[in-house]
Amino acid sequence: MTQSTDPFEPPAGGLSLYIHVPFCERKCPYCAFESKVPSEGEIDLWLETLGKELKWWEKRIGKPSLETCYIGGGTPTVITGPQWLSLADIIDSHFTFEPDAEVTVEANPNSLKADHLLFWRDWRVSRVSIGVQSFDDAELLQLGRLHSAAQAYEAISASLASGFSVNSDFMFGLPGQTFRNWARTLSQAVSSGISHISLYQLSLEPGTPWESMSEDDLSDGYLPYRWAQWYLPRKGYNQYEIANFAKKGHESRHNINYWEEGEYLGIGPGASGYLKGWRYKNTSGITEYSRSLDRGGSAISSGERLIGEKRASEAAVLALRMSKGIDREEFSSKYGISEENKIIEKLSRFPVDLYEISEKRISLSSKGMRVANMIWSELV
Amino acid sequence: MILDKFRNFSIIAHVNHGKSTLADRLLEETGTIEGRNMKAQLLDMLELERERGITIKLVPVRMNYKAKDGQEYVLNLIDTPGHVDFTYEVSRSLAACEGAVLVVDAAQGVEAQTVANSYLAIDLNLEIIPVLNKIDLPSAQPDRVIKEIEDIIGINANDAISVSAKTGEGIVDLLERIVRDVPPPNGDPDAPLQALIFDSVYDNYKGVICYVRVVNGTLQAGKNIRFMSTGRDYELDEVGMFRPDMVKVSELGPGEVGYLAASVKTIAEARVGDTITESRRPAASPLPGYRKVKPVVFCGFYPVEREDINQLREALEKLQINDSALSFEPENSAALGFGFRCGFLGLLHMEIAKERLSREFGVDLVATAPNVVYQIVLTNQSIIEAHKPSDFPEQVKIEEIREPYIKLTVFIPEQFVGAAMQLCQEKRGTYVGMDYITPERVRLTYDMPLAEFILDFHDRLKSCTKGYASLDYDHIGFKAADLVKVDLLLQDEPVDAFSFICHTDQAYHRGHAVVGRLKELIPRQLFEIPVQAAVGKKVIVRMNIKAVRKDVLAKCYGGDITRKRKLLEKQKEGKKRMKQVGRVSIPQEAFLAFMDVTKAEDK
Repeated sequence: MTQSTDPFEPPAGGLSLYIHVPFCERKCPYCAFESKVPSEGEIDLWLETLGKELKWWEKRIGKPSLETCYIGGGTPTVITGPQWLSLADIIDSHFTFEPDAEVTVEANPNSLKADHLLFWRDWRVSRVSIGVQSFDDAELLQLGRLHSAAQAYEAISASLASGFSVNSDFMFGLPGQTFRNWARTLSQAVSSGISHISLYQLSLEPGTPWESMSEDDLSDGYLPYRWAQWYLPRKGYNQYEIANFAKKGHESRHNINYWEEGEYLGIGPGASGYLKGWRYKNTSGITEYSRSLDRGGSAISSGERLIGEKRASEAAVLALRMSKGIDREEFSSKYGISEENKIIEKLSRFPVDLYEISEKRISLSSKGMRVANMIWSELV
Repeated sequence: MILDKFRNFSIIAHVNHGKSTLADRLLEETGTIEGRNMKAQLLDMLELERERGITIKLVPVRMNYKAKDGQEYVLNLIDTPGHVDFTYEVSRSLAACEGAVLVVDAAQGVEAQTVANSYLAIDLNLEIIPVLNKIDLPSAQPDRVIKEIEDIIGINANDAISVSAKTGEGIVDLLERIVRDVPPPNGDPDAPLQALIFDSVYDNYKGVICYVRVVNGTLQAGKNIRFMSTGRDYELDEVGMFRPDMVKVSELGPGEVGYLAASVKTIAEARVGDTITESRRPAASPLPGYRKVKPVVFCGFYPVEREDINQLREALEKLQINDSALSFEPENSAALGFGFRCGFLGLLHMEIAKERLSREFGVDLVATAPNVVYQIVLTNQSIIEAHKPSDFPEQVKIEEIREPYIKLTVFIPEQFVGAAMQLCQEKRGTYVGMDYITPERVRLTYDMPLAEFILDFHDRLKSCTKGYASLDYDHIGFKAADLVKVDLLLQDEPVDAFSFICHTDQAYHRGHAVVGRLKELIPRQLFEIPVQAAVGKKVIVRMNIKAVRKDVLAKCYGGDITRKRKLLEKQKEGKKRMKQVGRVSIPQEAFLAFMDVTKAEDK
C-alpha cells in the first residue's frame, strides 16, 4: 500500500496541533518570534480568524483526534479568562483528543493568574511551560523580562500545586553571564520541583534590537551547556533532546513528535506545520493573516516538500537532536541504505568522540551535542 | 602610399609618467578617435590594466596626420607594456619601430624604467624624442629634468618638447617632431618577406591574430606564410591594419604595421619576436632578437572545489591562448588535490593571470605562495630544477642549492639611501655600486636573490622611501646559497601548499610568522589543531588552534524546521568555500594571505 502524500486528506496516524498566540505584554529585545503587544480588538480578531482557519482545515482533514496540543507564543497568558473560554471552544469544536493527550500551554510568570490555572485544569491542559529564563534578577532585567526571580518561583509553585507537569525555559550565553550565575539558576530550577527543563543559548537575531550586538560580547555557550549536561542528569533530569532535560516520564511528547517527523498542524499567524511530507508556513502578522482568511483563502504563505537526499538528511538532522538518535532500521527502510551510508560517511569525518554508531542506532554523544550545529551543517 | 610618409614609433615611459594619457591626446589630435567616443586611456583595454594604470597588452594604432608641410603622414603608434615583467615584449615592440617618444614626468624626473626603456630603444638604434610631460604641474622642473635626461641617459635633451597630456599643450609640436625626426622605414618591397610579430592575440573566430611589422617584402592575403622559429606553414586568411579597429586590406608593404590571421590554433605557434616569411620564397634568415621567454616565478593554482579541475584547465588553456608567456603543467598536491603549476614572467604577470581566471572565467581558485626556480646539485653531481618546494629532494641528497639572482637598480632621493641599503642588505643583496646621478638622487645597484625580490621587496622599498623609489632589474643567473625547505604541518601532516624555501638564517622567523598567521586564519574546528613549522624532521615552531566552543545550540522556532534547515545550509555554504585538508577546513583567505604571511615576518 502506498502512503498518501496529499496533506489535505485526513491524517493516517496521530496528529499534533500547535496554536500560535502572537501577543506579548512587551516585546523582549532578543526575541524574533512572531509576536506583538496587542492593540484594541486584536485578540478577538485573532480568535475569530483561528476559527476560520480551523474551519478551512476541517473541510479537508475532518475532525482528527489529537495526541498532543501545544499553545505557545508569544505569551498565551496575555489572553484573559473569557477569551480562553472561546479559544478552548474553538479547539474542542474542531478536534477530539486521545484519552492521554498531552496538552501544553506556555506562560509568563508575571501574567500567569490563578484563573488561568483553574480554567486550564478544568479544560484539558496537562502541562505548563513557564518562560523563566533566569533566576538572577540582574539577568532578568537585562533580558527585558517583566518578572522577578521570586515571581517566577511563585508561578512554578502555583502551577505545581495545581497538579500540572511543569517545564521552564532558561537561557545561557548572555552578555556578562557568569558560570556561577548559571549554576545557581540551574540549581534553583532543580529545587523548584519542575519536571522538565529547556535550555536555550542566546542568539542575536536579525530584526531584533539586539541584532547589532557583537557576538564577542556574548559569553561562551560551551561551558554553561556542558555544565548543564553534567549537572542535570545527576539531579534526575536526563537529556533526551539537545535542548531538553526531563525527569523520567516527563519528556515532551509534542516536541519529540517534531523530531520524529510526526505530523502536526500549525495554526495562527507565522505558525508552521508538517503533513504527509509537506512543510508549510502561515502568513505572518495578525492583519495579513486575518485578511488572507477573509478572502476565503488559506493562511498558508509557503510550503515545500523535500525529496530524496534532502529529505533524508533533514530527517537525520532532526533525529540527531534526540539523545537516542537515528533508528537505523527505520531510517534505511524509509530512505534507503545508501542515504544511511551517506550519513555515516559524513559523520566519520568528525572526531570519533562526537558520535556513536551502534548496530541499531546512530546518535551524537554528549560532546557531539555541544557542537551539533557544526555537525548538522555537514549533514544537510 | 609611399614609404617615406610612414612613421612607426612607440612611447616609452616609467610607470605613471603619463604614457597612456599622452597616447589618447595623439589619437584625439589626429582625429583617429573622437573625444566623445573615447574612454579614458583607450590603449589600456583590459579592465585590470585600467585599474592598475599599467599597460600590459599592446594595441597598435594607425593615425593619419596632415603635417604643417601640407603632406599626409601615416603614424603607427605601437604601445609598450610598462612593467619590468614584460621587458622582452617591450623590446619586440620597439624593434617594430624607427622612433620612440621618451616621456618623462617633468616633476618626478628620470626613474629606473625611464633608463631601462631608453637603453632598449638606443640598443635598437631608434630615434628618441624626449618629452617632458605634466608641465602644467606647479612642481614641474623642466630644466632639472632635461639635465637629468642628459646626465643619466646620455642623450641630448635640450630640444625636449614640453607637453601636458592633460591640457593638450604641446601635442601638435610632438606630432610635428615625430614627422620630422623619426626616420621613415626602409625596406625592399621585392625582397623575400620578413615580418616581425610584436604581439599576438586570440580571436574566437579567426584564431590567432598576429600583430606584425613588415620589414622587407610584401605580405599579401592568400599567400602561404611560414613562422621561422617553428618552420610551420600556414595559409594566410586575412591581412589588415588598425584604424584603430581592424580593417581588412589586400596587402601590407615594408614599413607597414598591421595584423594577419592564418588559422593559427594556439598562440604558442605565433610567438612574439618570431619572423614571418613566405613559404614559397623564404627569407634567408629571421630578424634578430627572437627568444623564447622563460617563466621565472612559479606558483600552484588549485580549484577550490576539487571537481572544478577541468574548468580550471580549460580556463588556463584559454588564457594561454592569449598569453604565450604563461606556462602550466598539472601537479598533484597532497593537501589541495589536483591543480596546476604555473609559470610567469613576474609577480604582476602572475596576479594578472589570477585576476583574469576569476574575473573572465569565473574560476574559484587557491594560489600557493610564489617561488622561483631552484637548481639543485645532487650528491651524485647531477643537476635538477625545482619549480616548487615539493620538488626538493631529501636534505641528505643535496650537495648544493642554487637560486636565481637579479641585478637590481634602484633610483632614490638621497635622504633614503640609508633605509634602502638596509632593506637590500636584509634581502640578502650584495652591494655592487652607488652613484649620485644628481646631487639629490642616487642610483643603487645590488645583486639580489630573485626569491627575496618577489617576496615583498617592491612594497617595502616604496614604504621605506615614501614612494619616491623606482626600480628595474635584469636576470643574471644562478648562485649557490644556504637554503632550506620549511614544511608546515597541520595535525602533524605536512601541507605542501604552505611549505616554502628560505635562507637558513630566516627559517625560524618566517616559520614563526607563517604559523602565527595560520593560527589566526584557520577557524577553530571541532578538535585542537597543532600547527607546526619544521625543517626536515626538526620542528622549529609549534602553536595550537583550540577547538571550537561557540555556537552550541539555538532555539528551534516552534517547529519551524525549514528555517532551521536553511540556517544550517547557509552555514554549510560558508564552509564549502573552505578547502578541506585532511580533517581541517582552511578558508581560501588563508591561502591567499599566505603571501602576506611570508611578508609579515619582520613587522
